Amino acid sequence: MAPKKLGDYIIQVNAISKTFPNGVIALSDFSTKIRRSEVVVVIGPSGSGKSTFLRCLNGLEEIDSGSITIDGIPLDDNKKHRLEIRKEVGMVFQSFNLFPHMTTLENVNLAQRLVRKKSKDEATAMSMDLLRKVGIEDKVNAYPSQLSGGQQQRVAIARALAMMPKVMLFDEATSALDPEMIGEVLEVMKNLAREGMTMICVTHEMGFAREVSDWVIFMEEGEIVEEGTAEHFFRNPREERTKLFLSQIL
Amino acid sequence: MRKPKTKIRLSDVIILMLVVVIISYFVYRINVGLNYNWAWGKIPQFLFRYDPERGEWVSNILMHGLYNTLRLSFWGIILSTIFGTIMGICRASKVLFFKLLSGTYVESMRNIPPLVIIFIIYFFIGDQVLPGLGLDRFVEARSETVQKLIEFCLAKPQFITAFLSALLTLAIFEGAYITEIVRAGIQSIRKGQWEAAHALGLSWWQQMRHIILPQTFQRILPPLAGQFISLIKDSSIVSVISIQELTFQGSELMTGTLLTMEIWITVTILYLMLTLPCSLLIERLEKYMARSKG
Repeated sequence: MAPKKLGDYIIQVNAISKTFPNGVIALSDFSTKIRRSEVVVVIGPSGSGKSTFLRCLNGLEEIDSGSITIDGIPLDDNKKHRLEIRKEVGMVFQSFNLFPHMTTLENVNLAQRLVRKKSKDEATAMSMDLLRKVGIEDKVNAYPSQLSGGQQQRVAIARALAMMPKVMLFDEATSALDPEMIGEVLEVMKNLAREGMTMICVTHEMGFAREVSDWVIFMEEGEIVEEGTAEHFFRNPREERTKLFLSQIL
Repeated sequence: MRKPKTKIRLSDVIILMLVVVIISYFVYRINVGLNYNWAWGKIPQFLFRYDPERGEWVSNILMHGLYNTLRLSFWGIILSTIFGTIMGICRASKVLFFKLLSGTYVESMRNIPPLVIIFIIYFFIGDQVLPGLGLDRFVEARSETVQKLIEFCLAKPQFITAFLSALLTLAIFEGAYITEIVRAGIQSIRKGQWEAAHALGLSWWQQMRHIILPQTFQRILPPLAGQFISLIKDSSIVSVISIQELTFQGSELMTGTLLTMEIWITVTILYLMLTLPCSLLIERLEKYMARSKG
């Protein structure tokens, strides 16, 4: 793959900490910076805080301290800022979370209509484009329950893309899928990466990390244990903990 | 899908025979023990009577009662659903004020006997607040067509205050149960639905209106319909404040004619005519929803 040109820093995370009410420390003093068009893969054992990190980025979880800035907008108590960030950051969940009472097309249209205030025709045109891109154009009028897991997740990606986000978050997007469906979803994600979308992916798919990621972060207990390019990371990791983890999952 | 065949067992036969024996015994007791004189022939005139002046058949007391029960139930269902939905949303909300408000509402309605609630609302709202609003005068001042319309939809002008307080009582009382149904429904929607809608930039109200409530109502339709049947039945309690609904008319008629058995059996049948179709509808609904899930 030709080296991609990365832009300025679009996400700046400065020393964020998060402790859950039950006393579990999800993030402690976590900092990172992410460039435009960069694809960052976050890996780590379960409970290491990687999902919490993603969820903090679009305000699904509140941080206790530290600061997050996305495309110049601080994620603070200001409601306008928070809404703006939610609009600019798309998210894909492990469990798809499609709206079961709406068809594929309605799922993708919804936020365009309600949040971007587009007309029905405009929204539908955009949705059809996106659904074609993820290969679901023949299922536009199907309900989520009529789709396979892989198809549902591709619709969920199209739904997030319909908001034309500047950043896409993938929270274990392929973990709930049957093995034969993982490939079709990863393919969509890889295409997105090649198109220059800024992506942060929590995943266990090391092949995906190797192929498209610009930066890999290994987390444990809410802290960064090691980070670096995919090349460095998989060839010669420094930390013992990283080596152990990689030996377990590879 | 094939229906499993219903087998008749020995125990079914015994139970059926027992039921027949019990019913026969009751009939025997009434006829012989009570020496009751059945006079079914007198009943139809209380349903419909011939009006010689107008030269046509018109509804009589029992049918008037049935109509009033229908009016009460119809508006009661609409109002209590509105109350219940608003309060149910409050109960599922994260804002302490709304939680306390709806919590107090539900707890007080569930823990006070409906009869007491009726008297409180009737003597407070019905006797103090509504006359203060000048509602009966307002109705009387309307044109005849409007008055006719109000009479058709609600009640005669002189009964409008009593009718409205009865309606409010019913709606507030049943609304508390609907609140709990709506709350349970909202809370049964998976968290991921909220999160997905949140991540798409929808406001709290948009999430509620477009994502959560539609799924909630789909889910709670059966218990909701069950509550509507309860409401139809519970409408009989407003007879204590002289609303001339079916039960009130029944007891009036009984005092006047002493046809106790015939009248209450007739009233029972009239109630069943209202509630049984609703029950059948629910059964259909549940089957339909179970099918669309697959």
